[in-house]
Amino acid sequence: MQSKDEGEAVIGRLDRHVLVLSFWLPLGFLALALFTRGLDLGNHWLVAGAFVAVLVGFLGHVIANAVYRTFFTSRELALGLVVYLLALLSFLLALLLGSERIEALFAVIGLGFLALALGVIAYLVIHLGVRRAFEAFDVISDFRTRRKLEEPDS
Amino acid sequence: MTALLIAVLGFFLAYAIYVATLTARQSRGPEDYLDGGGDLPGWCFAFAATGILLSALGLYDHHLLQALFGLQYNHVALGIILAALAGAVVQKRLWLAARITGLRTLGDLIGAYYGSTALRILLLILLLLFTLPFAAQSLGRLGLVVEAASQGQVPRTGAVWVMAVFLFLGGVIGGWRAVIYVIAGQTLLLLTLIALTTGVGALTLDWIAVLGGDLPAAPGVLAKQIPGVIQYSSGLGKEATSGGIWTTTAILSAALPLVGILLSPAFVFLAITTARGKGFAFNQVWMTSGLGVGAMLLLTPLIGAGIGLAQPDALAEGTISYASLLLQFLAIDQLYAVGLALMLVTALQIPVAVFAQAGANLFVIELFGRYVMPGLSARDRRLAARVTLAVVFVLIAALASFAPLWAEIFGAMTLSLSVQFFPAILGLCWVRWISRGAVITGLIFGILLVVFTEPLGLILFEGLFVELPWGRWPLTIHSAAWGLAFNLAACLLISIFTLSAPDRSNRERLHAIFARDHKQGASSPALRTALWSLILIWAFFAFGPGAILGNWFFSEPIFSDTALTLAMPSLWIWQIVFWFLGVFFVWWLAYQARLSIIEMPVKTHLSLEEGRSSFGQLTPGFFARILERVAKR
Repeated sequence: MQSKDEGEAVIGRLDRHVLVLSFWLPLGFLALALFTRGLDLGNHWLVAGAFVAVLVGFLGHVIANAVYRTFFTSRELALGLVVYLLALLSFLLALLLGSERIEALFAVIGLGFLALALGVIAYLVIHLGVRRAFEAFDVISDFRTRRKLEEPDS
Repeated sequence: MTALLIAVLGFFLAYAIYVATLTARQSRGPEDYLDGGGDLPGWCFAFAATGILLSALGLYDHHLLQALFGLQYNHVALGIILAALAGAVVQKRLWLAARITGLRTLGDLIGAYYGSTALRILLLILLLLFTLPFAAQSLGRLGLVVEAASQGQVPRTGAVWVMAVFLFLGGVIGGWRAVIYVIAGQTLLLLTLIALTTGVGALTLDWIAVLGGDLPAAPGVLAKQIPGVIQYSSGLGKEATSGGIWTTTAILSAALPLVGILLSPAFVFLAITTARGKGFAFNQVWMTSGLGVGAMLLLTPLIGAGIGLAQPDALAEGTISYASLLLQFLAIDQLYAVGLALMLVTALQIPVAVFAQAGANLFVIELFGRYVMPGLSARDRRLAARVTLAVVFVLIAALASFAPLWAEIFGAMTLSLSVQFFPAILGLCWVRWISRGAVITGLIFGILLVVFTEPLGLILFEGLFVELPWGRWPLTIHSAAWGLAFNLAACLLISIFTLSAPDRSNRERLHAIFARDHKQGASSPALRTALWSLILIWAFFAFGPGAILGNWFFSEPIFSDTALTLAMPSLWIWQIVFWFLGVFFVWWLAYQARLSIIEMPVKTHLSLEEGRSSFGQLTPGFFARILERVAKR
C-alpha cells in the first residue's frame, strides 16, 4: 500500500507523462503527414512545416517540464536521441546513395536537423546553464570520476 | 486507404488502452476508478472540456450545416463563448459547493440543496439521455464515417461494435481518470486535424478563393448574410423560411444548447473532480473561447465550403455527405484522407467515451450506491461501475446499430433539456431565493416546451391525436430557448411567492459559507456593473439582434454611399471582431474578477442532508423488502 505522499508523487509523474504524450500525439501525426507529402512533391515548405511541428512538440515537452518542475526523464532522453540519430543517419545514407528527392530537399532537411539540435542545446543552456549543460554530456569526465570512486585507496 | 485508416485508428485506440493501463497501475485505491481521486490536473480539464464542448456541439453536423447555410450558420460558433461565460459563472461555485458538502455529483448536490427526490430523478433521466441516445447518435455517425472512408469495405455496424469494444476497454481498465487523460490528448489532436484539413483544402483545392467569391450554399440560402432578426415561420417541417433559418434569433437561441453541454451531469462531474487552481480559467479563456472558437470561426467555414464544392448536385438537393470530400482528399494523398476521417472519428468518439463513462460511474454513485445497495465497499462499487459500463456500451452500440433514428430523435433534444436545469444550478450557485417548488414547476414547463418543439413531441402527438399548427423550432427559435423562457418565467414567478418557504434555511447555510469564506468581492460594485453591462451590449451585437448589422457593416459602411470590395465577406469580419471581444470579456470574468480561479483549499464541513452521508442508507422501504425477498431465496 502506498503512502499518501508516494501516491501523490506517482500520480504527478503519470500526469506529466500523459501531458507529454498529449503534445506529441497530434504533432507527431502532423509532422509525419507533412514530411511524407513534402517528400513526395519535393515541396520545401511542407518539409519545413514538418520540422516546425516537431519543434512545437519539443516546446510542448518543455512546457510540461516547466509545469511539473521536472527535466526530461532518462527514457525520454534515450528515445529522443535514438530517434534523432536514426533520422539523421537515414538522411545521410539517402544522400550517399544518391536519392534525388533528398538531394533536392537537402537544404531544408539539413536546416531542420540543425534547428532541432539548436533548440535542444538552447533549452539545456537556459535550464541548466552553460557549464552544467556541458557536464551533462561530458561522458569522459563522468567516466573518470566514477573510476576514481571505484578504485580502492592506495 | 482502408488498411492505412485501420492502422491509424488502431494506433490511437492502442494509445488509449496504454494510457488506461498506466492509470490503472498507478491507482491509489478502488475509488479512483469512479472519480479519478477528485484531483484531475488543471490542464486535463482545460483540454478535455474544450474537446467535449466542440464535439458535443456536433462537429460532424457543423461542417454539413455550414455547407448548406454558409456563414449564417458559422455565426452559431460564437455561441460557444456564451457557454464559456456560463462556465465562468457556475463552475467554480459548483466545485466549491461539492467540496464544502462532500458531495460529488450534480444530482447529489441539487437533490440535497433543494431537498428534492424529484430533482434527483429528473437529473438521472437527463443522465440516461446523455449516456444512451446522445452517445449512440455519435457512435452511429462514427460508423457512417468509417464506412464512407473505407468505401464500404468496413460496414457501419461493424465499425460501431469494434469502436464500442475498444472504447469500453479503455474505460473499464483505467476508469474516469484515464478517459479524461485520453480525451485531453484527443482534443489537441482534433484541433490539429482541423487545421491540417483546412490547410490541405485551402492549398490544393482552392477553398480560400470561394470566400471572396461565391460561397456555396443550398439553393435560396443567403450564404454570406444572416436572413433577418426573426422569421414568422411555423417551424421546420411546416413552413419554409426565406434565405435560410439562421436568423439572429435562431443564432442566439441555438447558443443555449451549448450551455446545456456545460450543465450536463457528466461535464459538471468533470469540473468537480478537477483539482483546484487555474484550470477552469485557462479552459474558458484560452482553450474554449480562444482556440476552440477560433478554429470553428476561421477554419470550419472553409471545410463547409469544400464539402459544398465537392458535390454541387447533392448540395442543390440538400443531401450532402462527407463521401465526395473524402474521395477528393484521397486523390491528393491517402494520409490526408485518413487525417480527415480521423478528425471526424475523434470528434464523434469523444462524446461516446465521456458520456458512457460518466453515465456508468454516476449511476453507481447516485443510484446503485445510494438506493439499491448502499452498503457496498469501494472495491464492490468499482466492480459495479465496470459491469454498468459494459451494459451501457452494449446498449449504446445496439441503439447506434439497430435504432439510429430513435437515437437521433432523443439525442436531438438532450442538450435542450439539459439547459433547463440552469435555474436550479443558478439557485445553488448564486440566487438563494430560488425555491424547490419554483425550480420543479419551471422544469416541468421547460421540458414540455422542449419536447413539443422537437421531433419527439411532434411525432408522438401528431401520430396519436391531431396535427399541430407548429413544427420544429417555430419562429426560428430553438427548442432550448422556448423551454428556458417559460421555465425562467415560471421559476421566478413562483420564487416570489415562496420567499419564506420552510426549506430556505437549509439553502441559506450553503450561501452563508459562500458569503463568509468565498466572497467574490475583488472588484468594486461600479466595475462589476460596468462589466456586466458591457457583456450584455457585446452579446446583443455578437449573436443578438444587433448581429444583423454584420451583413453589410464592413462592405457598405454607414454614413457613406460607397461599397467596398473586401477580400472576405463583411459578416465573417464581424464574427472575428466579436470573437476577439468575447475572449476579452471571458478573460475579464475568469481571471480579473476571479470567478474561475480557486486559490484556497476547501474542507468538507457542511452536511446538507443531516444524518445522511453520500452513501447512507436511503433505500426506499418497498425496494428494501423486494431486495430482501430476492436475496433470501
